[in-house]
Amino acid sequence: MSEQAEKIVVALSSIPNTGKTTLFNRLTGSSQNTGNWPGVSVEKKVGCFSLGEYKISLVDLPGAYALSPVTEEEEVVRSYFLKTPPAVILNIVDAGNLYRSLGLTLQMSTSGLPMIVAVNMIDEKRKVDIPLLSTHLGVPVISISARSGQGLPELKNALYEVIKKPERSHIPHISCPPILEEAAKELSRKIIPGGPLEKMDSNFLAMRLLEANTLSDTIHKTGLGNFIKQWRGRIEKATGETIPITCAKCRFNAARGLVLEATGQKADLPNDQNKRIDRILLHRRFGLPLFLLIMFLLFQAVYGLGTPLQTYIGQGFDAAESWLKVQPSIAEQPNWLQSFLFDGLWQGLAVVTSFFPIIALFFIFMSLIEASGYMARAAFLMDNLMHRIGLDGKAFINLLLGYGCNVPAIMGTRILSGHHSRVITILLIPFSLCTARLQIFVFLTAILFSAAVAPLVLFALYLGSFLVIILTGLLLKVLHIAGKPEPFIMEIPPYRMPTLNNMILRTRQELKDFLYRAAPLIIAGVIAVWFLTHFPADVPAAGAHTWAGQLGQLLSPLFQPLGIHWQETVALIFGLIAKEIVVGALAVVYGGGDLSNQVVQHISPLQGLSFMVFTLFYTPCVATIAAIKAESGSWKITLFSLVLGLVTAWFASLLLYQTGLVLGFR
Amino acid sequence: MKKTIGCLEQKPGVECIVHSLGSDKKVAQRLAQMGVFPGVTLQIVRIASFGATVEVSIDGSQNFAIRKGELTALNCQVVAMPLTSSDVQLHITYRIRTVSGGRRFQQRMEAQGIHRGLLVKINNRTSPRIELHLIDQKKIVKLGPGEAEKIIIEITDV
Repeated sequence: MSEQAEKIVVALSSIPNTGKTTLFNRLTGSSQNTGNWPGVSVEKKVGCFSLGEYKISLVDLPGAYALSPVTEEEEVVRSYFLKTPPAVILNIVDAGNLYRSLGLTLQMSTSGLPMIVAVNMIDEKRKVDIPLLSTHLGVPVISISARSGQGLPELKNALYEVIKKPERSHIPHISCPPILEEAAKELSRKIIPGGPLEKMDSNFLAMRLLEANTLSDTIHKTGLGNFIKQWRGRIEKATGETIPITCAKCRFNAARGLVLEATGQKADLPNDQNKRIDRILLHRRFGLPLFLLIMFLLFQAVYGLGTPLQTYIGQGFDAAESWLKVQPSIAEQPNWLQSFLFDGLWQGLAVVTSFFPIIALFFIFMSLIEASGYMARAAFLMDNLMHRIGLDGKAFINLLLGYGCNVPAIMGTRILSGHHSRVITILLIPFSLCTARLQIFVFLTAILFSAAVAPLVLFALYLGSFLVIILTGLLLKVLHIAGKPEPFIMEIPPYRMPTLNNMILRTRQELKDFLYRAAPLIIAGVIAVWFLTHFPADVPAAGAHTWAGQLGQLLSPLFQPLGIHWQETVALIFGLIAKEIVVGALAVVYGGGDLSNQVVQHISPLQGLSFMVFTLFYTPCVATIAAIKAESGSWKITLFSLVLGLVTAWFASLLLYQTGLVLGFR
Repeated sequence: MKKTIGCLEQKPGVECIVHSLGSDKKVAQRLAQMGVFPGVTLQIVRIASFGATVEVSIDGSQNFAIRKGELTALNCQVVAMPLTSSDVQLHITYRIRTVSGGRRFQQRMEAQGIHRGLLVKINNRTSPRIELHLIDQKKIVKLGPGEAEKIIIEITDV
């Protein structure tokens, strides 16, 4: 009975772009949990559903072409199989792209684990001989349509049967060059798979050992290192190529024959409809302008709709705050507690909530672009420019959307392919001039500069932001901070109509994720700033005697060369909560009164400019830090980003202020 | 006579046969995992603005994007190119491999006697129009550059 109580792990695997996410959403609905795979920035999704008396835990593996690791995603899939093999593999293949899909299917079917193959009939044009595939692969094969849900009951039935009777009829044999088969046989006799690997075919494990060194210790405990090395040398000498390539060749030879038998067609079909759409969207001259237009509309849609919503939420919180403050039960509380509740906790909640509309809108439109297949096209169009700063084309979209708000832009980096791209993009986004910083700049430039000069200053700040992103990109590229980029070979998927269900689930998931992973850090950050600016208890808040004020004065030797007074340093500390409150904080620190007058009295135009440059480049806000931590899964990268921002801001301000002084400005 | 893709002008319509996956191990392994092996035909579908990224199709079906540097590193021998390619030599016999473009364009070409399988020579390329010599028909057809780039010719060994 205990067997039935525990969850049965089913791993959903496929190559990229086969409708895996749609099937995952169909099977699990809204009971999903996301996180990261250990140690990497690749998203891990797990969902649950019940099947008869069984509780199924469906693990969504990242899209990978093979178990031989080239990309981070493939490394994840490989280590998943070799460390915690699932009870059943659910593999989905695209009927229109059968040849390429079957490469992975064949490799997985040799593992010996119970398996089901779902053939996703994305377009109905192709007839696939399902029973024949089933006979060859030795596993049940079910034809489904992930989009319409057709064939899903049959799939669930088949899954139920496999769980009940997990014995495989046979394991398909893929013929390899004799020397490789011999090596695998020899090796398979020496390894005694124990623990979780017990059910796996030892020949399969031997192949995994031969093709790559990683994780070999989980398969064999005794030192087979030299034995494997010798064989590897002999095989590579005999075949003239690396073992993963030899293995791939064998698999695809088998796949080619299987496709021919199952469909009667030699290769996969060309897609004429795609060609027609691409002729317009990827047009030699109009492709790029069209892309920029789409990006402009996207930007407008996310922030044009999202920013007013943010304002409404802010007003709602303010109204609720003033209502709560007069409630007798709260008004009776001591001052410090009231201050903690409203300026700390309540403020933190308000910051978290204010991100909801833009994150939701951002991911609605992002999933539209991604699921439709346009993302890959955008990457293709922008690739050359982004390649120069060590990124691939997809990162452009994230960097651009960072100019609205850094937080969703950083959360969106999980769409990018490859660890290298993700980390570099995460590190670059905080230098973009987001709308919250823009508010400060608009306010200050209007006070400090004439109406003719102010727009030019704003324009220069945008240019400065672009420049720093490009220079930092080049620097990070030279430093190899995130390892080496993966080779850029990107499949251009067919255009597909995005499904509403997928979009809603995705957006809901992202919001939930933000709430669980980033929100606690944001609230903690806001409370920490509250603490600094309100204690010791007996001095006026944000004044010279609070810890923040003392810190500002302590740091003044550092900020003096930048032309930034300690009062502004305190405002910068406030700016960590959210850039929107910097202006308000300045007003408080300068002791109230008309802020415009105060600013004109205390800050010269050059000092103001230096202050703005510092604001532009230093850490955007706690929400951004929280997003970086959540996405990268690493404190090291988060800390690096913090330091990078502060150092860049300091040097940029210093350069500007000192040059300004030398040139005779004030 | 046949040359690898690295030595030739890369433009849409150029087709080549992969002879080996090149020396970059990671690129080679990636391609192998996607089912690309020596013997497949790659066709350049289009080139992105700024020119460094290329969309290719494998055996006429699956498309992927690759950078020019990586494409050049493949040992890939050119078997066909558009009439407008600067690598097309004068007075040498080629065979028309495909007339791409829409059906209407193909019909218009057909009306002028241009279709697949025809042996042709280029006699003159100095003016913007290309003079195409249809060898068996003993006829010369003048084509504009927009028309010529849709006609893909293959190298014959006669």
